[in-house]
Amino acid sequence: MTGTAQTMDRQPPGEQEVLAEITRMLAAVLDEYGLDESEVTMDSRFTDDLELESIDLVTLAAQLQERWGERINFAEFLAGMELDEIIGLTVGRLVEYVVARLRPEAAERS
Amino acid sequence: MAVLEIDGLPFHVQRLSPADGRPPAATLVLVHGLLTDSLASFYFTMAPALAAAGAEVFMYDQRGHGRSGRPHTGYRLERFVADLAALLDHSFPAGPVHLVGNSFGGTVAFGLAEQRPDRVASILAIESEPASPAWAAKLDGILRRAETELVRTSTLAWVAAERGAHTARLARSAGRLLAVTSLARDIPASLLPGEERLAAIACPVLAVYGTESDLVEQAAWLDGLLPRCRSAFVSGQEHSVLVEAPDAVLELTFDWLREQGVVLRGAAACDLQRSAR
Repeated sequence: MTGTAQTMDRQPPGEQEVLAEITRMLAAVLDEYGLDESEVTMDSRFTDDLELESIDLVTLAAQLQERWGERINFAEFLAGMELDEIIGLTVGRLVEYVVARLRPEAAERS
Repeated sequence: MAVLEIDGLPFHVQRLSPADGRPPAATLVLVHGLLTDSLASFYFTMAPALAAAGAEVFMYDQRGHGRSGRPHTGYRLERFVADLAALLDHSFPAGPVHLVGNSFGGTVAFGLAEQRPDRVASILAIESEPASPAWAAKLDGILRRAETELVRTSTLAWVAAERGAHTARLARSAGRLLAVTSLARDIPASLLPGEERLAAIACPVLAVYGTESDLVEQAAWLDGLLPRCRSAFVSGQEHSVLVEAPDAVLELTFDWLREQGVVLRGAAACDLQRSAR
């Protein structure tokens, strides 16, 4: 996969770094409603706490892929879940998924 | 965010290509329903699995919905059909595509098949029906009620309690859509194709219903009206079968595509080998 070699040169991002980036993406997605970035924690739920609609998650998925490439497949990640699970999804679970997918061993597998 | 502009109106589109990077086994265009719906209903259900099975998957937010443009007027069915035709002409200029329509999205798909038969290889219509005088009258009732109810805090609180916060949020968005556009009055005023025009829809059609849905009653009528239509039922489900029972709908879709001669790949190809044995 293109881009893999260059991302493997440096340390894959940790949870704090990924959380900060996802928080910035959420602020962009929720632009018209406004978002207090300090509200976003690992425990924040996308729908109940951050008031995201499903279409906002689609926008977020595109941003994740733009930032970290095809290894981050949010749609596929969610496709394995029940509807209730998606609705209750926390920022933390997404952060953990991104961190795991960006580890070099995950890159080799894909 | 991918945006295609059609006649000055921005359309939010999402495209998933075959996961294995090979040429697509088929092109599928997924069309969502009215008011509370958006391409997200496909994006988070069947779309990734279809791309993994080797399909080129194209989704878009219909006018007024999701992240697409929201003009104040222009919401008759024929406008939605023209949007789909224009998006296809832009993105897939050659040959017919397989359409999957959820609810009103299926009505749009039938509209395209009626007007541009050359563009439609097949239709999988989920909880859907073609436009007819009965359809227009029913939608008129639903939309009038939605227009007054979905802006009431008491209604929204009831939805939140019964169906959860996310559905309540979608309902509130739908209320906004109805408040700022002529959609509620435009849909019932749509141009309706006569039964003889519908009966000329020659492409294969699979109509999927939840067994608990009101629409089940029309299944026999539609099977009889369209020359190549049959029905499938998902037990225990109501109108929201696509998001409530995504696995069942996906299996039906895979079977349907195989029946249309599409050679699926990945895990979907293994299913075929299993069922062939």
